[in-house]
Amino acid sequence: MSLASGIVRSVYEDLRGIVLAPYNLAKEFRYTYHGLQRGEIPPKHVAWTWISTFGAVALAGLLMFPIYWMLTIAISGGGIYSFEFIPTNPTIENFIWVIGPLTVPDNIVINGPLVGELFRIPVPASIGGLYILDPAQFGMPRRPEYYSGFIAYAENSAYVSFWTVVVAMAVIIPGAYGMSRRDFIGRKKLLYLYILLTQVGGGLGIAVLIALYTIFQNLGWLNQLLPLGIYYGAGAVPFNTWLLKTYMDGIPISYEEAAIVDGAPSWRIVYEVIIPLSKAGLATVFVFIFLAGWTDFVIAQLMLDQSNWTLPVGLYDYSGRPSEMDWGNFSAFALAFATPLMLVYFFAQRYIESGLSFGGMEG
Amino acid sequence: MSTVSDAAQRFKESDFGSVLEENSSAALVLPGLLLWSMFMLLPMVYIFILSLTNAEPANLFVGDGRLLGLVPLGEADFIGLENYIELLFSIQAANHILSGAYGSVLDLFLSDPVAVFNYQFWNSFLVTWAFVIVSVTGKVILGIAIAMIMTGNRVRGKRYLRGIIIMPMGVPVIFSILVWRAVFSGAQFGLMNQLLLNIGIIDQAINWFYDGRWLAFSTYVVTEMWLAYPFMVLITVSALQNVNGDLLDAAEVDGAGFFSRMRHVILPSIRRPVMFGTILTSAASFQQFLIPFVFESGSPNRENELLLLFAYKEAFNQNLYGKGAAISLTALFFIGMFMWVAVKRGNLAEEAGEA
Repeated sequence: MSLASGIVRSVYEDLRGIVLAPYNLAKEFRYTYHGLQRGEIPPKHVAWTWISTFGAVALAGLLMFPIYWMLTIAISGGGIYSFEFIPTNPTIENFIWVIGPLTVPDNIVINGPLVGELFRIPVPASIGGLYILDPAQFGMPRRPEYYSGFIAYAENSAYVSFWTVVVAMAVIIPGAYGMSRRDFIGRKKLLYLYILLTQVGGGLGIAVLIALYTIFQNLGWLNQLLPLGIYYGAGAVPFNTWLLKTYMDGIPISYEEAAIVDGAPSWRIVYEVIIPLSKAGLATVFVFIFLAGWTDFVIAQLMLDQSNWTLPVGLYDYSGRPSEMDWGNFSAFALAFATPLMLVYFFAQRYIESGLSFGGMEG
Repeated sequence: MSTVSDAAQRFKESDFGSVLEENSSAALVLPGLLLWSMFMLLPMVYIFILSLTNAEPANLFVGDGRLLGLVPLGEADFIGLENYIELLFSIQAANHILSGAYGSVLDLFLSDPVAVFNYQFWNSFLVTWAFVIVSVTGKVILGIAIAMIMTGNRVRGKRYLRGIIIMPMGVPVIFSILVWRAVFSGAQFGLMNQLLLNIGIIDQAINWFYDGRWLAFSTYVVTEMWLAYPFMVLITVSALQNVNGDLLDAAEVDGAGFFSRMRHVILPSIRRPVMFGTILTSAASFQQFLIPFVFESGSPNRENELLLLFAYKEAFNQNLYGKGAAISLTALFFIGMFMWVAVKRGNLAEEAGEA
């Protein structure tokens, strides 16, 4: 079972579970009802089930309430002066504001990292400049400055994360393989160091921020996305090397021995045995590395100017001073930023809950 | 370091070439280590050097003075431990110490002990620890309570509920903190104000971040608890799933009530993982930077600046890089302690062959 089909299947199962929940619930109700009638199920049990389930749902609702509140603000048009559980005049204006006008470009330009423009594909004049999303339909102006710039920020974030992933993967995969399968002087010391560093995460970067800023300023790296991306990649090395190493430890060594007996050179063993077998581990590591660059705020807000802001910095800017901010716009921007990540967590919960042990994930 | 002596020993025993060959696999991990060192280890060393200088933008960013040709120092001068002394002691006491008049410091201490110390630093230091203690207590209790409820026998749809309640873990921290700033907004329509006004507990909107030091502090604690409860719930849920069911049944048959079962069966079996989670979450609280940064910069009157924010503001708002570096290094020391304790208590190092 490949990783992708495994994920698709479990997401499908979760969705089916949600869709079928009313049906199953009805079945259970009928069973309980008959059981009660015949006196097979004590009423006390039923009462307890109701009370505990209700309590748990209420608790979950309470914990999620701030996020739900954001959602109601984002979709209610008339301001937020009083909370409405279900907004009476829902509108998507705020979300249109986040995305901004979308047009078919006159030319499709494909940029390569570092080298700039690679290809330029002209678009037929008949459809070039047409609106895909026309704000005028919603009674909003077509001026791009009116809108949030979400897409521009997202492009900056994507550029940073691209380099983070490329640089980090390039050093983490061989590093994890070396740690897992080879021996050399200082291997245990290095592993110990990495384990130490995995424990506390984020604060280290902030604690050395002053030094980092001075170095970046001295090298002329301020307000540049590429060094920032590499920096995030460097910070991701200890945790992810350790994680991937742990995963690779679980791959039986006999596969490699078989490949050696067949005369495969070591690069082929890595390329054709280890990497395909560690797909699940690689996917997890990929997500963690990607998120490191995608979600960081502290370093980015110090290093970057407005022209190069990433999504978190842009979001922070719209929060402004609470008395002046447009709450509807802010909420929509925040949700557009966070919802995809929340959904990933919702569906990945069972894997995360098993303690990152990859227990249920077959490669 | 035994690595160094091991290496030296092996060099003596064999010729250089075979050592190199034996350890050629180190080339696999070196790029990662180098990358990490460039962006993390080097700044750590550099921040130590900076903490010994009078660096500020005016002297740091001029000229090409470099230490060992690597780290930029500009025209900043080494001033020894002055930053640290000024950090720990009040201006008056620091001047006495720097001029060697230790007797005057003692006199000052005897007449007014508080006047010897630098209020701003010690305030930040102590409020950071207060934040750690209060928020960690809250997080652990909340985490265990939620985990118990969400694993209850009679709760239907537990898995989906758990999926929902751990979602805060998946959102960017800056998002959560901005949401909570909106909740605690001083405006009338901030969620907390709306709630309290509607219930009738207050009749005027509260300015949460400015109406008092401990009020602002409590908003930090609530936010931190919300940020970290998913982690504690995850740890506790997986621990609870390993509680011996037979033992629980036996206790129930023997007539043990909920609280006895909790005390004698459940708590002892989840103690270790929860302990480990507590250490990690304490470290997270200690390093909290974004909450005070976003919540009006540790207002009122800079009283609630947690340690890392204090360092940040000394450096980037007051332009005192040297002093900021000294504070950062203090924070780094404690972060290092947390790392060490976590690895020791979590028995994580078994894998690395260290007992």
